[in-house]
Amino acid sequence: MNFKKQLKDGLIYQNPVLVQVLGMCSTMAITTSISNGVGMGISVLIILTLSNIFISLLRKIIPNEVRIACYIVVIAGFVTIVDLCLQAFFPDIAKSLGVFIPLIVVNCIVLGRAEAFASKNSVAASAVDGICQGIGYTVVLVIMCTVRELLGAGTLMGIQIMPASYTPALMLVLPVGGFLCLGTLIAVMQWALARSEKKAAEKNEKEGN
Amino acid sequence: MKIEGKFILKVAGTLTAISLVVAALLGATNALTEDKIAAINKANTEAALAAVVSSPDCEFPPIEEIPQAAIDAAKAQSGKLTEAYRVVVNGEDAGYAFKIVAGGSQGDIEMIVGVDSDLAITGISVVDASETSGIGTKVIANEATTAGTGALDQFVGKSGAGSLVVKTNIDAVSGATVTTKGITKGANAALAAAEAMA
Repeated sequence: MNFKKQLKDGLIYQNPVLVQVLGMCSTMAITTSISNGVGMGISVLIILTLSNIFISLLRKIIPNEVRIACYIVVIAGFVTIVDLCLQAFFPDIAKSLGVFIPLIVVNCIVLGRAEAFASKNSVAASAVDGICQGIGYTVVLVIMCTVRELLGAGTLMGIQIMPASYTPALMLVLPVGGFLCLGTLIAVMQWALARSEKKAAEKNEKEGN
Repeated sequence: MKIEGKFILKVAGTLTAISLVVAALLGATNALTEDKIAAINKANTEAALAAVVSSPDCEFPPIEEIPQAAIDAAKAQSGKLTEAYRVVVNGEDAGYAFKIVAGGSQGDIEMIVGVDSDLAITGISVVDASETSGIGTKVIANEATTAGTGALDQFVGKSGAGSLVVKTNIDAVSGATVTTKGITKGANAALAAAEAMA
């Protein structure tokens, strides 16, 4: 188990949003204010980690033929638990995230990691994977929220940042702004990844000579 | 392929066992959070009720059995009447407050609409909505429309079920026409319900 590598994967090389392109719906929909992004990111992180642990624990018991059904039951259970806890203890966040919390059940990051990682790896590695992928997801959400809230509403965390003369670019808060923002982020990420790969290849070549 | 009984038992048994464990966990969570959520919902509803009536001391005895006519009247105006309260000011009946659910741009908007005994709206306040942050939320936060009145305040004093139409006698908040339409549906539905109650 290699925590550093898993963290790097979650944040950069296998970033759930920017590289695996999973969980688009929620990424697009809720990233209009930072508190939403943080709330959603942490909710997914908790659910992802819990469901990864559970599924990894059960990986030898679950029959292959009904594995997806089993994963969904486990994931739906944890989503409902988190949803109820949010409603009871953080009513404001629950209110602003609304339907997107129950929709985490069908968020492909959670099912994707269950299928691709937790069902094949040890409990500890799966827990770390859940945390790292959750952090990767949260970071992207927060970046998108910052851009969209700052330029789209002129505020950060609800506090006015831009000067009063700034006219908010409402478009960025609308769905089209979400697509533009996410597209730009993915492009930057791919460019950076391609560059670092090229450098690594050049280095290898030099050393080979 | 022949499916064996043992195999079916294994597959169904595992799935059932997992479901049972998850159900038990859910039951435990529900027991922990149920009262808190109910209390929060009740507080939200009470705050919303107080917001739709101008006089500070009034009571809102709930109407346990809502007449079918009122529910149907609200439905005809595309609003779902879920709760009804009598508004009692200083011991006298002063109208009704209805909890109405109507479709907004991102799902349902749950609102309380107060209607006085002359069948005019006394106020609207939103209990629950998931409108777009920064756009639809402007309507819910009662921000001023182009005409200068608050998006929710503009309904005060209006009457006549079905007569309220966005862009005719109701101003929409720029960019949030659908949310405004949702609130207007709720207002029309509440007026219709009040007319049916009278």
